[in-house]
Amino acid sequence: MIELTTTTKRYGSLTAVDNVSFSVKPGECFALLGPNGAGKTTIVKMLLDFTRPTSGSVSVSGIPSTDAVSRASIGYLAENHRIPASLSGWQYLLRCAELLDIKRSDAVDQCRRIVELIGMQGREYTKVGTYSKGMIQRFGLGAALIGEPKLLLLDEPTAGLDPIGIREIRQLLESLKNEGMTIFLNSHLLSEVEKICDTVAIINRGSLLVKDAISAIVKDGDTLEDVFVRLVKG
Amino acid sequence: MKTLKAFPSIFRIAKHTLSDEVRQKSFVIMFVICAICIVLIRGCYQGNYVVNGQYLDAGTVVSALSKVTFHIIGAGVMIIAALLSMRIFRRDRNEGIQSCILSKAIARWQYVTGKIIGIWVLSVLFMFILHGIVFLITSINLNAFMPEYLVASLLCSINLLFVVIAVLLLSLLMPDIVAFLCVLGVGIVSFVADGIAAVSHTPMAQAMMQQSGAHPQVELTWWKVVYYFWPKLSGVQHSASSLIGSDLFPGFGLLYPIINVLLYCLILGGLLFLRFRKIDIV
Repeated sequence: MIELTTTTKRYGSLTAVDNVSFSVKPGECFALLGPNGAGKTTIVKMLLDFTRPTSGSVSVSGIPSTDAVSRASIGYLAENHRIPASLSGWQYLLRCAELLDIKRSDAVDQCRRIVELIGMQGREYTKVGTYSKGMIQRFGLGAALIGEPKLLLLDEPTAGLDPIGIREIRQLLESLKNEGMTIFLNSHLLSEVEKICDTVAIINRGSLLVKDAISAIVKDGDTLEDVFVRLVKG
Repeated sequence: MKTLKAFPSIFRIAKHTLSDEVRQKSFVIMFVICAICIVLIRGCYQGNYVVNGQYLDAGTVVSALSKVTFHIIGAGVMIIAALLSMRIFRRDRNEGIQSCILSKAIARWQYVTGKIIGIWVLSVLFMFILHGIVFLITSINLNAFMPEYLVASLLCSINLLFVVIAVLLLSLLMPDIVAFLCVLGVGIVSFVADGIAAVSHTPMAQAMMQQSGAHPQVELTWWKVVYYFWPKLSGVQHSASSLIGSDLFPGFGLLYPIINVLLYCLILGGLLFLRFRKIDIV
Protein backbone atom coordinates (compact mmCIF):
# COMPACT_ATOMS: atom_id res chain seq x y z
CA MET A 1 0.00 0.00 0.00
CA ILE A 2 2.80 2.41 0.97
CA GLU A 3 6.37 2.11 -0.21
CA LEU A 4 9.32 4.35 0.60
CA THR A 5 12.56 3.43 -1.15
CA THR A 6 15.85 5.02 0.01
CA THR A 7 14.00 8.26 0.53
CA THR A 8 15.91 11.35 1.60
CA LYS A 9 14.59 14.84 2.17
CA ARG A 10 16.88 17.78 2.79
CA TYR A 11 15.97 21.38 3.60
CA GLY A 12 19.20 23.20 2.82
CA SER A 13 21.83 21.74 5.14
CA LEU A 14 19.22 20.01 7.34
CA THR A 15 18.45 16.38 6.56
CA ALA A 16 14.86 15.80 7.70
CA VAL A 17 14.62 12.23 6.35
CA ASP A 18 17.75 10.25 5.72
CA ASN A 19 17.71 7.27 3.37
CA VAL A 20 14.54 5.76 4.81
CA SER A 21 12.99 2.63 3.30
CA PHE A 22 9.93 0.78 4.54
CA SER A 23 6.59 -0.49 3.31
CA VAL A 24 3.10 -0.82 4.74
CA LYS A 25 0.90 -3.69 3.60
CA PRO A 26 -2.82 -3.33 2.81
CA GLY A 27 -4.98 -3.81 5.90
CA GLU A 28 -2.07 -3.13 8.25
CA CYS A 29 -2.32 -0.71 11.15
CA PHE A 30 1.04 1.01 11.16
CA ALA A 31 2.46 3.62 13.52
CA LEU A 32 5.37 5.92 12.79
CA LEU A 33 6.96 6.96 16.05
CA GLY A 34 9.69 9.40 16.87
CA PRO A 35 10.51 12.42 19.02
CA ASN A 36 9.66 15.95 17.86
CA GLY A 37 11.57 16.88 14.72
CA ALA A 38 12.39 13.26 13.88
CA GLY A 39 10.93 13.57 10.37
CA LYS A 40 7.52 11.90 10.85
CA THR A 41 5.43 14.73 9.41
CA THR A 42 7.89 15.12 6.53
CA ILE A 43 7.27 11.48 5.60
CA VAL A 44 3.51 12.05 5.69
CA LYS A 45 3.94 15.16 3.54
CA MET A 46 5.96 13.17 1.01
CA LEU A 47 3.21 10.53 0.86
CA LEU A 48 0.75 13.30 -0.06
CA ASP A 49 3.18 15.08 -2.41
CA PHE A 50 3.02 18.17 -0.19
CA THR A 51 6.79 18.10 -0.43
CA ARG A 52 9.02 16.11 -2.77
CA PRO A 53 11.91 13.88 -1.72
CA THR A 54 15.41 15.07 -2.54
CA SER A 55 16.20 11.51 -3.60
CA GLY A 56 14.53 8.11 -3.54
CA SER A 57 10.92 7.35 -4.27
CA VAL A 58 7.57 7.30 -2.49
CA SER A 59 4.52 5.44 -3.77
CA VAL A 60 0.98 4.78 -2.60
CA SER A 61 -1.01 1.85 -4.01
CA GLY A 62 1.82 1.31 -6.49
CA ILE A 63 1.44 4.82 -7.92
CA PRO A 64 4.20 7.42 -7.43
CA SER A 65 3.07 10.00 -4.88
CA THR A 66 3.78 12.76 -7.40
CA ASP A 67 0.73 11.54 -9.36
CA ALA A 68 -2.49 13.04 -7.94
CA VAL A 69 -4.27 9.72 -8.62
CA SER A 70 -2.26 8.13 -5.80
CA ARG A 71 -4.26 10.25 -3.35
CA ALA A 72 -7.61 8.91 -4.56
CA SER A 73 -7.46 6.16 -1.94
CA ILE A 74 -6.21 8.34 0.95
CA GLY A 75 -8.12 9.92 3.80
CA TYR A 76 -5.90 12.44 5.57
CA LEU A 77 -6.05 14.11 8.95
CA ALA A 78 -3.43 16.81 9.47
CA GLU A 79 -1.66 17.56 12.72
CA ASN A 80 -3.49 20.53 14.29
CA HIS A 81 -6.25 20.25 11.76
CA ARG A 82 -7.79 23.57 10.66
CA ILE A 83 -11.22 24.33 9.22
CA PRO A 84 -12.38 27.73 7.89
CA ALA A 85 -14.13 29.49 10.79
CA SER A 86 -16.89 30.78 8.51
CA LEU A 87 -18.15 27.25 7.81
CA SER A 88 -20.13 24.90 10.03
CA GLY A 89 -18.83 21.37 10.59
CA TRP A 90 -21.62 20.06 8.37
CA GLN A 91 -20.74 22.46 5.52
CA TYR A 92 -17.11 21.41 5.82
CA LEU A 93 -17.93 17.72 5.53
CA LEU A 94 -20.22 18.37 2.55
CA ARG A 95 -17.53 20.42 0.87
CA CYS A 96 -15.02 17.59 1.32
CA ALA A 97 -17.55 15.15 -0.15
CA GLU A 98 -18.11 17.47 -3.10
CA LEU A 99 -14.36 17.64 -3.75
CA LEU A 100 -14.38 13.83 -3.90
CA ASP A 101 -17.07 13.96 -6.60
CA ILE A 102 -19.68 12.27 -4.41
CA LYS A 103 -23.30 12.82 -5.46
CA ARG A 104 -25.16 15.29 -3.22
CA SER A 105 -27.71 12.79 -1.86
CA ASP A 106 -24.99 10.20 -1.14
CA ALA A 107 -22.84 12.90 0.42
CA VAL A 108 -25.63 13.94 2.80
CA ASP A 109 -26.18 10.31 3.88
CA GLN A 110 -22.47 9.73 4.33
CA CYS A 111 -21.94 12.96 6.27
CA ARG A 112 -24.86 12.17 8.56
CA ARG A 113 -23.32 8.75 9.33
CA ILE A 114 -19.92 10.30 9.93
CA VAL A 115 -21.28 12.99 12.28
CA GLU A 116 -22.75 10.19 14.36
CA LEU A 117 -19.50 8.21 14.17
CA ILE A 118 -17.40 11.11 15.47
CA GLY A 119 -19.97 11.89 18.16
CA MET A 120 -20.79 15.42 17.02
CA GLN A 121 -24.57 15.21 16.63
CA GLY A 122 -26.21 18.48 17.63
CA ARG A 123 -23.08 20.55 16.99
CA GLU A 124 -22.68 19.99 13.26
CA TYR A 125 -24.64 23.09 12.21
CA THR A 126 -22.83 25.60 14.44
CA LYS A 127 -19.91 27.61 13.06
CA VAL A 128 -16.44 26.09 13.38
CA GLY A 129 -15.33 29.32 15.10
CA THR A 130 -17.22 28.16 18.19
CA TYR A 131 -15.60 24.67 18.27
CA SER A 132 -12.90 23.53 20.67
CA LYS A 133 -9.63 22.10 19.34
CA GLY A 134 -10.86 18.58 20.06
CA MET A 135 -14.09 19.16 18.14
CA ILE A 136 -12.18 20.46 15.12
CA GLN A 137 -9.99 17.36 15.33
CA ARG A 138 -13.09 15.15 15.31
CA PHE A 139 -14.50 16.88 12.23
CA GLY A 140 -11.06 16.56 10.63
CA LEU A 141 -11.16 12.83 11.25
CA GLY A 142 -14.71 12.76 9.89
CA ALA A 143 -13.56 14.53 6.72
CA ALA A 144 -10.77 11.96 6.34
CA LEU A 145 -13.35 9.16 6.43
CA ILE A 146 -15.51 10.60 3.64
CA GLY A 147 -15.44 8.51 0.47
CA GLU A 148 -14.49 5.37 2.40
CA PRO A 149 -10.74 5.60 1.72
CA LYS A 150 -8.57 2.49 1.62
CA LEU A 151 -5.75 4.21 3.48
CA LEU A 152 -6.17 6.48 6.47
CA LEU A 153 -3.23 8.81 7.04
CA LEU A 154 -3.48 10.29 10.53
CA ASP A 155 -0.99 12.82 11.86
CA GLU A 156 -1.48 13.05 15.63
CA PRO A 157 -5.22 12.23 15.50
CA THR A 158 -5.71 12.53 19.26
CA ALA A 159 -4.04 15.93 19.63
CA GLY A 160 -6.29 18.22 21.67
CA LEU A 161 -8.70 15.48 22.70
CA ASP A 162 -9.66 14.74 26.30
CA PRO A 163 -9.19 11.19 27.68
CA ILE A 164 -12.76 10.24 26.75
CA GLY A 165 -12.25 11.60 23.23
CA ILE A 166 -8.95 9.70 22.92
CA ARG A 167 -10.70 6.50 23.94
CA GLU A 168 -13.54 7.07 21.44
CA ILE A 169 -11.09 7.73 18.61
CA ARG A 170 -9.15 4.59 19.54
CA GLN A 171 -12.34 2.53 19.44
CA LEU A 172 -13.23 4.08 16.08
CA LEU A 173 -9.80 3.26 14.66
CA GLU A 174 -10.06 -0.30 15.97
CA SER A 175 -13.39 -0.77 14.20
CA LEU A 176 -11.95 0.69 10.97
CA LYS A 177 -8.99 -1.62 11.27
CA ASN A 178 -11.33 -4.59 11.68
CA GLU A 179 -13.09 -3.51 8.48
CA GLY A 180 -9.77 -3.94 6.67
CA MET A 181 -8.75 -0.30 6.30
CA THR A 182 -5.02 0.41 6.17
CA ILE A 183 -4.10 2.90 8.89
CA PHE A 184 -0.91 4.95 8.98
CA LEU A 185 -0.61 6.68 12.32
CA ASN A 186 1.77 9.39 13.51
CA SER A 187 1.42 9.63 17.25
CA HIS A 188 3.13 10.46 20.50
CA LEU A 189 0.64 8.47 22.55
CA LEU A 190 2.59 5.23 22.75
CA SER A 191 0.06 3.50 25.00
CA GLU A 192 -2.68 4.10 22.40
CA VAL A 193 -0.42 2.97 19.56
CA GLU A 194 0.38 -0.21 21.47
CA LYS A 195 -3.34 -0.95 21.78
CA ILE A 196 -4.27 -0.33 18.12
CA CYS A 197 -1.30 -0.96 15.85
CA ASP A 198 0.23 -4.16 14.46
CA THR A 199 3.49 -2.67 13.22
CA VAL A 200 5.62 0.28 14.27
CA ALA A 201 8.58 2.12 12.85
CA ILE A 202 10.71 4.34 15.06
CA ILE A 203 12.70 7.15 13.51
CA ASN A 204 15.08 9.62 15.07
CA ARG A 205 16.82 12.55 13.40
CA GLY A 206 15.50 11.37 10.05
CA SER A 207 16.95 7.85 10.28
CA LEU A 208 14.89 4.69 10.63
CA LEU A 209 15.90 2.88 13.83
CA VAL A 210 13.55 -0.09 13.67
CA LYS A 211 10.50 -1.30 11.78
CA ASP A 212 8.77 -4.45 12.93
CA ALA A 213 5.64 -5.97 14.45
CA ILE A 214 4.95 -4.65 17.95
CA SER A 215 5.03 -8.20 19.26
CA ALA A 216 8.58 -8.59 17.92
CA ILE A 217 9.83 -5.30 19.31
CA VAL A 218 8.21 -5.31 22.75
CA LYS A 219 9.60 -8.18 24.80
CA ASP A 220 8.08 -9.57 28.00
CA GLY A 221 7.94 -7.08 30.86
CA ASP A 222 8.66 -4.14 28.58
CA THR A 223 6.29 -1.55 27.18
CA LEU A 224 6.50 0.21 23.82
CA GLU A 225 7.49 3.32 25.74
CA ASP A 226 10.51 1.53 27.26
CA VAL A 227 11.64 0.34 23.83
CA PHE A 228 11.07 3.79 22.32
CA VAL A 229 13.10 5.59 25.00
CA ARG A 230 15.89 3.01 24.81
CA LEU A 231 16.18 3.29 21.03
CA VAL A 232 15.90 7.07 20.79
CA LYS A 233 18.28 7.79 23.67
CA GLY A 234 20.69 5.24 22.23
CA MET B 1 -9.69 13.03 -21.80
CA LYS B 2 -7.71 13.43 -18.59
CA THR B 3 -8.02 17.21 -18.90
CA LEU B 4 -11.79 16.97 -19.39
CA LYS B 5 -12.07 14.93 -16.19
CA ALA B 6 -10.14 17.66 -14.39
CA PHE B 7 -12.73 20.35 -15.10
CA PRO B 8 -15.36 19.40 -12.47
CA SER B 9 -12.73 19.70 -9.72
CA ILE B 10 -11.57 23.06 -11.08
CA PHE B 11 -15.12 24.42 -11.14
CA ARG B 12 -15.81 23.15 -7.61
CA ILE B 13 -12.68 24.87 -6.30
CA ALA B 14 -13.70 28.03 -8.18
CA LYS B 15 -17.19 27.82 -6.69
CA HIS B 16 -15.83 27.37 -3.16
CA THR B 17 -13.39 30.26 -3.66
CA LEU B 18 -16.22 32.49 -4.80
CA SER B 19 -18.51 31.56 -1.92
CA ASP B 20 -15.66 31.92 0.63
CA GLU B 21 -14.92 35.44 -0.63
CA VAL B 22 -18.56 36.50 -0.65
CA ARG B 23 -18.82 35.33 2.98
CA GLN B 24 -16.07 37.77 4.00
CA LYS B 25 -17.41 40.88 5.72
CA SER B 26 -14.70 43.03 4.10
CA PHE B 27 -15.91 42.00 0.65
CA VAL B 28 -19.54 42.77 1.43
CA ILE B 29 -18.59 46.19 2.86
CA MET B 30 -16.44 47.02 -0.20
CA PHE B 31 -19.25 46.05 -2.55
CA VAL B 32 -21.92 48.01 -0.70
CA ILE B 33 -19.73 51.16 -0.54
CA CYS B 34 -18.95 50.95 -4.27
CA ALA B 35 -22.60 50.38 -5.19
CA ILE B 36 -23.73 53.33 -3.01
CA CYS B 37 -21.10 55.61 -4.59
CA ILE B 38 -22.30 54.71 -8.08
CA VAL B 39 -25.95 55.23 -7.14
CA LEU B 40 -25.15 58.58 -5.52
CA ILE B 41 -23.85 60.02 -8.80
CA ARG B 42 -27.19 59.40 -10.50
CA GLY B 43 -27.95 63.12 -10.10
CA CYS B 44 -25.23 63.87 -12.68
CA TYR B 45 -27.30 62.13 -15.36
CA GLN B 46 -29.97 64.81 -15.56
CA GLY B 47 -29.59 65.75 -19.22
CA ASN B 48 -30.23 69.43 -18.56
CA TYR B 49 -26.70 70.81 -18.64
CA VAL B 50 -26.19 74.24 -20.15
CA VAL B 51 -22.81 75.10 -21.66
CA ASN B 52 -22.28 78.61 -23.13
CA GLY B 53 -26.03 79.16 -23.02
CA GLN B 54 -26.75 76.03 -25.03
CA TYR B 55 -28.54 72.94 -23.74
CA LEU B 56 -26.61 69.70 -24.14
CA ASP B 57 -28.58 66.80 -25.51
CA ALA B 58 -28.89 63.58 -23.50
CA GLY B 59 -26.62 61.69 -25.91
CA THR B 60 -23.68 64.01 -25.26
CA VAL B 61 -24.15 63.86 -21.50
CA VAL B 62 -24.48 60.09 -21.51
CA SER B 63 -21.46 59.58 -23.71
CA ALA B 64 -19.16 61.81 -21.69
CA LEU B 65 -20.29 60.83 -18.21
CA SER B 66 -20.61 57.15 -18.93
CA LYS B 67 -17.05 57.03 -20.21
CA VAL B 68 -15.74 58.72 -17.09
CA THR B 69 -17.61 56.35 -14.77
CA PHE B 70 -16.62 53.41 -16.99
CA HIS B 71 -12.92 54.17 -16.50
CA ILE B 72 -13.29 54.89 -12.78
CA ILE B 73 -15.14 51.62 -12.17
CA GLY B 74 -12.69 49.67 -14.37
CA ALA B 75 -9.65 51.02 -12.52
CA GLY B 76 -11.32 50.73 -9.10
CA VAL B 77 -12.29 47.09 -9.57
CA MET B 78 -8.72 46.31 -10.67
CA ILE B 79 -7.58 47.51 -7.24
CA ILE B 80 -10.30 45.45 -5.55
CA ALA B 81 -9.34 42.36 -7.60
CA ALA B 82 -5.74 42.84 -6.46
CA LEU B 83 -6.87 43.16 -2.83
CA LEU B 84 -8.94 39.97 -3.11
CA SER B 85 -6.14 38.01 -4.78
CA MET B 86 -3.27 39.02 -2.53
CA ARG B 87 -4.41 37.01 0.50
CA ILE B 88 -5.89 33.97 -1.23
CA PHE B 89 -2.97 31.55 -0.87
CA ARG B 90 -2.12 32.71 2.64
CA ARG B 91 -5.69 32.35 3.85
CA ASP B 92 -6.05 28.92 2.24
CA ARG B 93 -2.84 27.85 3.98
CA ASN B 94 -3.88 29.25 7.37
CA GLU B 95 -7.40 27.82 7.25
CA GLY B 96 -6.25 24.38 6.10
CA ILE B 97 -8.10 24.62 2.76
CA GLN B 98 -4.93 24.07 0.74
CA SER B 99 -3.99 20.84 2.52
CA CYS B 100 -7.63 19.70 2.48
CA ILE B 101 -7.92 20.09 -1.29
CA LEU B 102 -4.47 18.84 -2.21
CA SER B 103 -4.73 15.75 -0.01
CA LYS B 104 -7.38 14.55 -2.46
CA ALA B 105 -6.84 13.38 -6.04
CA ILE B 106 -6.60 16.97 -7.20
CA ALA B 107 -3.46 18.18 -8.93
CA ARG B 108 -1.84 21.46 -8.05
CA TRP B 109 -2.59 22.99 -11.46
CA GLN B 110 -6.27 22.23 -10.92
CA TYR B 111 -6.17 23.99 -7.56
CA VAL B 112 -4.43 27.07 -8.97
CA THR B 113 -6.75 27.21 -12.00
CA GLY B 114 -9.77 26.96 -9.71
CA LYS B 115 -8.48 29.80 -7.57
CA ILE B 116 -7.78 32.02 -10.61
CA ILE B 117 -11.23 31.36 -12.08
CA GLY B 118 -12.98 31.89 -8.73
CA ILE B 119 -11.41 35.28 -8.02
CA TRP B 120 -11.61 36.38 -11.64
CA VAL B 121 -15.31 35.53 -11.97
CA LEU B 122 -16.03 37.31 -8.69
CA SER B 123 -14.17 40.44 -9.83
CA VAL B 124 -15.88 40.39 -13.23
CA LEU B 125 -19.29 40.09 -11.54
CA PHE B 126 -18.35 42.92 -9.19
CA MET B 127 -17.41 45.18 -12.10
CA PHE B 128 -20.34 44.08 -14.25
CA ILE B 129 -22.85 44.87 -11.51
CA LEU B 130 -21.37 48.35 -10.98
CA HIS B 131 -21.37 49.00 -14.73
CA GLY B 132 -24.87 47.57 -14.81
CA ILE B 133 -26.00 50.16 -12.25
CA VAL B 134 -24.64 52.94 -14.49
CA PHE B 135 -26.38 51.32 -17.47
CA LEU B 136 -29.68 51.27 -15.56
CA ILE B 137 -29.30 54.88 -14.41
CA THR B 138 -28.66 56.15 -17.95
CA SER B 139 -31.49 54.00 -19.28
CA ILE B 140 -34.01 55.27 -16.71
CA ASN B 141 -32.89 58.91 -16.34
CA LEU B 142 -32.13 59.67 -19.97
CA ASN B 143 -33.87 56.96 -21.94
CA ALA B 144 -30.50 56.22 -23.52
CA PHE B 145 -29.93 52.47 -23.93
CA MET B 146 -26.30 51.52 -24.32
CA PRO B 147 -25.89 47.75 -24.51
CA GLU B 148 -22.34 48.35 -25.79
CA TYR B 149 -21.57 49.65 -22.27
CA LEU B 150 -22.04 46.16 -20.87
CA VAL B 151 -20.03 44.60 -23.72
CA ALA B 152 -17.22 47.04 -22.95
CA SER B 153 -17.42 45.99 -19.30
CA LEU B 154 -16.89 42.36 -20.28
CA LEU B 155 -13.93 43.33 -22.45
CA CYS B 156 -12.34 44.98 -19.41
CA SER B 157 -12.41 41.62 -17.64
CA ILE B 158 -9.12 40.84 -19.43
CA ASN B 159 -7.48 43.44 -17.19
CA LEU B 160 -8.92 41.74 -14.11
CA LEU B 161 -7.51 38.38 -15.25
CA PHE B 162 -4.08 39.97 -15.55
CA VAL B 163 -4.34 41.53 -12.08
CA VAL B 164 -5.49 38.26 -10.45
CA ILE B 165 -2.74 36.15 -12.04
CA ALA B 166 -0.02 38.74 -11.41
CA VAL B 167 -0.92 39.20 -7.74
CA LEU B 168 -1.23 35.44 -7.14
CA LEU B 169 2.20 34.88 -8.69
CA LEU B 170 3.87 37.71 -6.82
CA SER B 171 2.25 36.68 -3.52
CA LEU B 172 4.21 33.40 -3.80
CA LEU B 173 7.46 35.32 -4.17
CA MET B 174 7.07 38.23 -1.74
CA PRO B 175 4.87 39.49 1.10
CA ASP B 176 1.23 39.91 0.07
CA ILE B 177 1.16 43.67 0.49
CA VAL B 178 4.30 44.10 -1.63
CA ALA B 179 2.72 41.91 -4.34
CA PHE B 180 -0.37 44.14 -4.26
CA LEU B 181 1.71 47.33 -4.45
CA CYS B 182 3.82 45.98 -7.35
CA VAL B 183 0.74 45.24 -9.47
CA LEU B 184 -0.77 48.57 -8.44
CA GLY B 185 2.48 50.18 -9.64
CA VAL B 186 2.24 48.39 -12.99
CA GLY B 187 -1.30 49.71 -13.40
CA ILE B 188 -0.40 53.27 -12.41
CA VAL B 189 2.56 53.34 -14.81
CA SER B 190 0.30 52.05 -17.58
CA PHE B 191 -2.30 54.77 -17.00
CA VAL B 192 0.24 57.57 -16.53
CA ALA B 193 2.24 56.54 -19.61
CA ASP B 194 -0.90 56.40 -21.72
CA GLY B 195 -1.90 59.81 -20.37
CA ILE B 196 1.46 61.27 -21.39
CA ALA B 197 1.19 59.55 -24.79
CA ALA B 198 -2.29 61.00 -25.27
CA VAL B 199 -1.03 64.50 -24.46
CA SER B 200 1.93 64.07 -26.82
CA HIS B 201 -0.49 63.27 -29.65
CA THR B 202 -2.39 66.56 -29.28
CA PRO B 203 -1.81 69.09 -32.11
CA MET B 204 -0.33 71.58 -29.64
CA ALA B 205 2.23 69.12 -28.31
CA GLN B 206 3.06 68.00 -31.86
CA ALA B 207 3.62 71.61 -32.93
CA MET B 208 5.83 72.28 -29.91
CA MET B 209 7.94 69.22 -30.63
CA GLN B 210 8.31 70.14 -34.28
CA GLN B 211 9.43 73.64 -33.28
CA SER B 212 12.09 72.18 -31.00
CA GLY B 213 13.33 70.01 -33.89
CA ALA B 214 12.39 66.64 -32.43
CA HIS B 215 10.79 63.91 -34.59
CA PRO B 216 8.74 62.02 -32.06
CA GLN B 217 7.12 59.61 -34.52
CA VAL B 218 10.41 58.49 -36.10
CA GLU B 219 12.86 58.06 -33.21
CA LEU B 220 12.85 54.71 -31.47
CA THR B 221 14.03 55.26 -27.93
CA TRP B 222 14.33 52.69 -25.14
CA TRP B 223 11.45 54.20 -23.20
CA LYS B 224 9.25 53.86 -26.28
CA VAL B 225 10.08 50.16 -26.44
CA VAL B 226 9.27 49.81 -22.72
CA TYR B 227 6.07 51.76 -23.28
CA TYR B 228 4.92 49.49 -26.10
CA PHE B 229 5.77 46.29 -24.23
CA TRP B 230 4.45 47.43 -20.84
CA PRO B 231 1.16 45.71 -19.81
CA LYS B 232 -1.46 47.78 -21.61
CA LEU B 233 -4.06 47.88 -18.83
CA SER B 234 -5.04 51.44 -19.69
CA GLY B 235 -5.03 50.53 -23.39
CA VAL B 236 -7.54 47.71 -22.82
CA GLN B 237 -9.83 50.13 -21.00
CA HIS B 238 -9.57 52.61 -23.86
CA SER B 239 -10.20 49.86 -26.41
CA ALA B 240 -13.27 48.81 -24.44
CA SER B 241 -14.52 52.37 -24.01
CA SER B 242 -14.16 52.94 -27.76
CA LEU B 243 -17.20 50.66 -28.02
CA ILE B 244 -19.18 53.24 -26.04
CA GLY B 245 -18.01 56.23 -28.08
CA SER B 246 -16.32 56.26 -31.48
CA ASP B 247 -12.99 57.82 -30.48
CA LEU B 248 -10.04 55.44 -30.26
CA PHE B 249 -6.97 56.00 -28.11
CA PRO B 250 -4.18 57.44 -30.26
CA GLY B 251 -1.19 55.24 -30.99
CA PHE B 252 -2.75 51.79 -30.75
CA GLY B 253 -5.34 49.87 -32.64
CA LEU B 254 -8.25 48.24 -30.89
CA LEU B 255 -6.56 44.86 -30.70
CA TYR B 256 -2.95 45.51 -29.66
CA PRO B 257 -3.66 46.27 -25.96
CA ILE B 258 -5.91 43.22 -25.71
CA ILE B 259 -3.32 40.93 -27.27
CA ASN B 260 -0.61 42.50 -25.11
CA VAL B 261 -2.50 41.84 -21.84
CA LEU B 262 -3.59 38.34 -22.92
CA LEU B 263 0.04 37.47 -23.67
CA TYR B 264 1.04 38.70 -20.23
CA CYS B 265 -1.73 36.56 -18.72
CA LEU B 266 -0.35 33.49 -20.50
CA ILE B 267 3.25 34.15 -19.48
CA LEU B 268 2.45 35.02 -15.85
CA GLY B 269 -0.03 32.12 -15.64
CA GLY B 270 2.69 29.71 -16.81
CA LEU B 271 5.11 31.10 -14.24
CA LEU B 272 2.44 30.83 -11.53
CA PHE B 273 1.86 27.13 -12.26
CA LEU B 274 5.61 26.46 -12.31
CA ARG B 275 6.17 28.31 -9.05
CA PHE B 276 3.25 26.67 -7.25
CA ARG B 277 4.47 23.20 -8.28
CA LYS B 278 7.64 23.80 -6.29
CA ILE B 279 6.26 25.13 -3.02
CA ASP B 280 5.76 22.95 0.04
CA ILE B 281 2.20 22.60 1.31
CA VAL B 282 1.82 23.13 5.05
